[in-house]
Amino acid sequence: MRVLIAEDDMVSRRILETLLRNWGHEVVTTLDGEQAWQVMRAPDAPALAILDVMMPRVDGLEVCRRVRKLSPATPPHIILLTAKHGARAIVEGMEAGADDYLTKPYDRDELRARVQVGVRIVELQTRLAGRVEELEKALEHVRQLQGILPICSYCKKIRGDQDYWQTVESYVADHSEAEFSHSICPACYETTVKDQLASFRASVQPVV
Amino acid sequence: MPADLLRMEDYLAKSLKRLPRANLAGAATQAIDPAVLASLDEAWEEGEADLVVELIDLYLGDAPQWVEAMRTAAAAKDATVLMRAAHTLKGSSGSLGIRQVAETCRMLELNCGEWAARIEELLQQLDRDFATARAALAAERMRRIA
Repeated sequence: MRVLIAEDDMVSRRILETLLRNWGHEVVTTLDGEQAWQVMRAPDAPALAILDVMMPRVDGLEVCRRVRKLSPATPPHIILLTAKHGARAIVEGMEAGADDYLTKPYDRDELRARVQVGVRIVELQTRLAGRVEELEKALEHVRQLQGILPICSYCKKIRGDQDYWQTVESYVADHSEAEFSHSICPACYETTVKDQLASFRASVQPVV
Repeated sequence: MPADLLRMEDYLAKSLKRLPRANLAGAATQAIDPAVLASLDEAWEEGEADLVVELIDLYLGDAPQWVEAMRTAAAAKDATVLMRAAHTLKGSSGSLGIRQVAETCRMLELNCGEWAARIEELLQQLDRDFATARAALAAERMRRIA
């Protein structure tokens, strides 16, 4: 997964980069909050971000706040790295929009576990967003087939959206996922097809 | 030398690199936390350049500017810049297990609002800590690239 890291201290940044690459992630490295924000606001922003809280220019909390205002279909999972301990620092981070946090110096196994949780949540959200999109499309079709349809009393054609009369099957096909397979019902066979077949046979039989 | 022996020599060289606790000499043991170096060695993957050597180079290249920034900020009585520099150096020192520098930086970060003798005292302490750390890091670096 593409993971953004924002860390101004180059030693900590290099360690973080190495760990994430070794765990199989593609790392997008930024050196401060402003750079992180520029990456996170782009349409192809990484789905997971690890932000140091205390950074020059824009701090990690402010990056969180800005990213949360974007509200894309699948919001990124944000983990804050904070040097501050205690409930106040955690609440501050969560209120800014972080999903998770770790205090420095962090335990590597804990970071790995939390990143894995982030990956699971992002994958779940992506699947969910896909299903929501499918359902919205389906709902749109259902809406199109709702309401009063003007239909010709004689030929049963339907007047479509552009005042164009079309057959029932072409109208339904245009407004839904349904497809038609043509056949003949027993009643129509008796009333119409039987006679047509008889006259067809008579027309092709040689005159004796 | 037969191929097997060459491989064994290579294996031993790598294994020895992964034993910092046993190899760290006196001053270095006090200045650098061996457990931190050992855990960094775990993150190091076969075939890659030694991560600790790279981190030592980064640290020695970067840290002096933060020490200098703290001195300048203290002279200008700029608490914000002093706190930020102390915070950053605390972070990178902690990441490499340079405990005493990290601790002195933590004290500077906590006391940066006090412009009395305390700050000067801490900055002098930092100079001493950093000099010790620099020597220990250089020794550790030499040991690893040997």
